[in-house]
Amino acid sequence: MDKKCAQLWQRLSAALKPEISADSFKRWFSNVELVDAKDKSITLTVPNNIYQLWIESNYMPALQSAIIATFGSTRSVRFCAPSAAGTQTSADDSTTIKQTLPTQMDARPATTVPGLNPRNTFESFVVGPNNEIAHAASLAVAQAPARTYNPLFIYGGVGLGKTHLMQAIGQYVWAKRRNVKVIYVSSELFINEFIDAIQHSNLVKFRKRYRQADVLLIDDIQFLGGKERSQEEFFHTFNTLFDGHKQIVLSSDRPASEIANLEHRLVSRFEWGLTAELQPPDIETRHAILRKKADTMQIKLHEDVFQFLATRIRTNVRRLEGALMRVASFASLSGRELTKETVEHLLKDILQEEGRQSITIEQIQRRVAEHFDVRLADMTSKRRPASIAFPRQVAMYLARELTKASLNEIGDAFGGRDHGTVLHACKLVKKRIAEQDNIRQTISYIDSSLQR
Amino acid sequence: MKFSVTKEKLLEALQQVQNVVSTRTTLPILSNVLLQANETELHLTTTDLDVGVRGTCEAHVDKAGATTLPARRVFNIIRELPSSEIQIDVDGKNAASIRSGQSFFKILGLPEDEFPPLPKFEGAKVVTMRQKNLRDGLRKTSYAISTDETRYVLNGVLFSFKDNKITLVATDGRRLAMAEIELEFPRSHESDLIVPTKAVTELQRLLTDDGDVKVSMSNGQIAFDLNKTLLVSKLIEGNYPNYKQVIPAEAKERVKLEREMFLNSLRRVSLLASDKSHSVKLNFSKNNLDITANTPEVGEAKESLAIAYKGREFSIAFNPEFLMAPLRALTEDEVFLDLIDEMSPGVVKIQTPFLYVIMPMRISS
Repeated sequence: MDKKCAQLWQRLSAALKPEISADSFKRWFSNVELVDAKDKSITLTVPNNIYQLWIESNYMPALQSAIIATFGSTRSVRFCAPSAAGTQTSADDSTTIKQTLPTQMDARPATTVPGLNPRNTFESFVVGPNNEIAHAASLAVAQAPARTYNPLFIYGGVGLGKTHLMQAIGQYVWAKRRNVKVIYVSSELFINEFIDAIQHSNLVKFRKRYRQADVLLIDDIQFLGGKERSQEEFFHTFNTLFDGHKQIVLSSDRPASEIANLEHRLVSRFEWGLTAELQPPDIETRHAILRKKADTMQIKLHEDVFQFLATRIRTNVRRLEGALMRVASFASLSGRELTKETVEHLLKDILQEEGRQSITIEQIQRRVAEHFDVRLADMTSKRRPASIAFPRQVAMYLARELTKASLNEIGDAFGGRDHGTVLHACKLVKKRIAEQDNIRQTISYIDSSLQR
Repeated sequence: MKFSVTKEKLLEALQQVQNVVSTRTTLPILSNVLLQANETELHLTTTDLDVGVRGTCEAHVDKAGATTLPARRVFNIIRELPSSEIQIDVDGKNAASIRSGQSFFKILGLPEDEFPPLPKFEGAKVVTMRQKNLRDGLRKTSYAISTDETRYVLNGVLFSFKDNKITLVATDGRRLAMAEIELEFPRSHESDLIVPTKAVTELQRLLTDDGDVKVSMSNGQIAFDLNKTLLVSKLIEGNYPNYKQVIPAEAKERVKLEREMFLNSLRRVSLLASDKSHSVKLNFSKNNLDITANTPEVGEAKESLAIAYKGREFSIAFNPEFLMAPLRALTEDEVFLDLIDEMSPGVVKIQTPFLYVIMPMRISS
């Protein structure tokens, strides 16, 4: 035991003593030593497993408050046998006196929860204004499962990090407390297992598996849409876990209310806790993602290349990473200096795909007219009753947001209006979005239907 | 195989074995009961591969033989049969014809050789004790077994054979029950075994107040032979925590309590122990014990008991369920409650070697 730990243990003991009786302290803590203190966890050596059992069962609240008094925040507490002290103070599980699971349940590999990609952690997640709420909520859930946001519902488009966040929660929870049962499945796997269970009349086992989870993570929950019996089964699983104060985290590519053929009782339950949206990253975030990715892949690229990729690939982080990978492997294989032209050539198909998604003003007009049930001609006409003027303003606002057209170009496209009119329309719509929920919803709906 | 038997005897034997029957569907044979008829007796065996029970019932055997039949189904049929006389005839294809009065049933079984045999105990260490002693010991301890599956070594009762006594221990980390059975056995038999909960539960059902039980121990298995019935179980592997560490050295105050009166008072007061903290408070003052509980926004309860007490005034809180459990299991008129202070564990004792350590709960001021 090094000096620092000894000092820390003295301070911790001093804080702990008033919390419990003198006899208890002498009995349970006088033979305990602190061998390791990290940011998130501390390791104590105990003479044998009865110490761990009794401390965990009876003195954890007192110990935690002493930890807070000493370190300023909570730490998870690990226990290990004294033989492991000194030689191995790091987080090695084989040396902790873990009350291992019964053998038949011991299928869990030592390294991770099945289905979780060890690369998907909070550390490797790039936080930007587009995802900071979802990230913060996920972290809060991981730090204190089932305390704050239950269920946590994360939604967002393809390749924006839903799975990454969910897996990060799973790994965080699991790394902190190994005896917590974390289950991560895609809803497709859930459905398949359910069908399998029905087929082999194994429902009890199936239910046991899911209903004994401490943290249940279900990815791509939208695939439950239209699967009635699976929905029912999931409904009961959900209730059991929720009532048992277990954490549930769900992800979907759209808000719960928009999942087709999903029962209302499920929709309302999904909206019960916190709903966090992931939006496409802005240019700075894209830049940061590229740099982080390049760092982990240990590749060096010119600043211009990052800039080029970040500017041209806007919608999807996965595609962004794919492009980076392609550029990097080309650079390392050919050994040639990358120019803008070579990159453009390399990524021809990806860029084309991105380009196809650029939206024209005409599409916007058409979509808006259709949505508000006005004639397309009204978009360019001079008539100004509110029933026509407002949709027109919405269309101008969307054109401003979604296309690269200048104010003048937009004005021209709307029947030769001047740029002041367009600016006024944008300001007005923005104001109404801020003030009225239903307008915000309408516009984000049109927006997403255009992007699809 | 062909035999006749009385309904009462067969039903009794089935009741002894049928609790073990596996609900696992992986091995269909495990939901069956093995029937073996020799000259004068019928043996019934069930197992879930962890615990196995073998019962015996008198029968008039016309033709010896063996088969297996679905246990729950047979039990339900026998229970409903109208007449006391039952004839069972099993053909070569394991189809059993059950006749009783006007009723006839035909039940399809599985061949007996598929049934996993109970482990053999040749060369095992054997001790014999009074059934009553073992039954008492288990009754005094088994309620404290942990149900937390992640702490599997605690999912059973420790049988510690040492110094010519068997110490039975169960704990869940917040309380610990210990009882001792005096018994002479050779030094070589000293060992620590953990008998799983299911075996303990079944054993408690089978043990009676008369007769002896022969306990055989061999690698990883234990058998309790009650003459007509036999229970075999796997042991839990692992080291049981050193329970002695938990037992407080000395008590400051010893309170003598009328067990039943104390239990009844606790039961009434605990009706108003809040769901959340779920504690009752014991307030000791001169020759008086007040038991109180309160739940904010619901109400409160208080009972006073006259006791002989001359120590200092103090209060200590316990989980009422944990405090009532030993009181229910004991039969003695008087129990002792040993206390040190409000933050140290309490100990329930009686005149015979038994103790129950219970951790106090924090008193919220």
